[in-house]
Amino acid sequence: MQADKVLDATGLSCPMPVVRSKKAMDELDSGRVLEIHATDKGSVKDIPAWAKSAGHVLLKQAEEDGTFKFWVQKG
Amino acid sequence: MSLRVMTSADVVERILNKQPLFIVDVRNADEYADWKIEGETIESINLPYFELLDGVEPYLDRIPNDRELLVVCAKEGASIMIAEELAKHGYEPAYLQGGMKAWSTHLYETLVYQDDRIKVYQFVRVGKGCLSYMVISGQEAMVVDPLRFVDAYLKLAEKEGVRITHIVDSHLHADHVSGGLELAQRTGATYYLMKSEGAVYDFEPLENHERIRFADAEVQVLAVKTPGHTPGSVSFFVNDKLLFSGDTIFVSGLGRPDLGEKVEEWAEDLYRTISEKVADIADDVLVLPAHYADLEKEMNEDGVIGETLGKIRSENRIMQNIPKEEFLQHVIKSAESVKPPNYKEIVAINKGLLSKTDEEITELEIGPNRCAVHHTA
Repeated sequence: MQADKVLDATGLSCPMPVVRSKKAMDELDSGRVLEIHATDKGSVKDIPAWAKSAGHVLLKQAEEDGTFKFWVQKG
Repeated sequence: MSLRVMTSADVVERILNKQPLFIVDVRNADEYADWKIEGETIESINLPYFELLDGVEPYLDRIPNDRELLVVCAKEGASIMIAEELAKHGYEPAYLQGGMKAWSTHLYETLVYQDDRIKVYQFVRVGKGCLSYMVISGQEAMVVDPLRFVDAYLKLAEKEGVRITHIVDSHLHADHVSGGLELAQRTGATYYLMKSEGAVYDFEPLENHERIRFADAEVQVLAVKTPGHTPGSVSFFVNDKLLFSGDTIFVSGLGRPDLGEKVEEWAEDLYRTISEKVADIADDVLVLPAHYADLEKEMNEDGVIGETLGKIRSENRIMQNIPKEEFLQHVIKSAESVKPPNYKEIVAINKGLLSKTDEEITELEIGPNRCAVHHTA
């Protein structure tokens, strides 16, 4: 999936993956897609919940070799 | 500025001493709805941390400043961030060390019974509602339903100057991983469990023991087969005074019979157990179960989670000789509720069929025990 920006939040523990995601998203225009990579297990639930509460759209979520990947479109 | 830290032990102290504590739980809404810190003097709200990233100001009117304040999250990180924000607004918040993960594994012990022959400690895993016991007599001790934090038992045994010689599991647990095998390996004690529960490692089958005696026969343990919650559930009747009831009888309900895909068969077992075996046990026997669901309701004035069998019978309609059909209907219906988190994997680990790291087990065990069918349900 094509992303406008990729955020590497691997190795960071809660709450940093969500904090960094929010910052990265603040710099994008509406409709753009942010791809997030994280290894913290909490992000599996927290990133989708954050995206929903902030009015963004979670387009896709996947796990590859212990890395959780999210594609979030800015609302 | 340094934040105050509260440990799980500090929180338990507030709950037991009935001191007011306001909790801001910053996990996501699902996790909070599923399982949270509760107590008579505990009030909490859920404000997910990711909704507070633009500042806590819009939510301050929901957070009182008239009592002790604690911020809680899954592991600790987010609670520190939010506590720091609250501290900028005139609050003096603490955060929970290790978060709900630490809360889930915290144990405390309390002396619940003593006579001239035995002394009994109750170990309370307050975050999950799991109970286990140490029965001490002379130089020996028996541990009932040990949790996997076996150091707690070793420490108490050392303090009491006794040797753990007997370990019993009332059944194969579905909500938490047993510490029975590890404690047996570390102490050389005999570990008893019903063979019919399906465990594949070495233990002493309870099928071969109607009675266990120890400490020069000062302690007589009658292994009463009480199938229902599981086919091999056993209750341990000690010196005709104490009934360690496992997950068969709780202070406020019975053990659910539906965690083995054979709910109707196991419910029939439970009916026979209650109407035949338990009916023969005297009213003044103290029931000490392996779980509680609601600490406020199930803990008595002495801080003990336990109740006389007579009182349990009088307050629990399904134990009052009701018609079999009504019993089965009630038990089967209320067993349709949400099951214990990850119970199939936990059962497999307890059987010795699946191996996981401590870290993975901690993740699997997160959440409430959900082992009971309640008379009010």
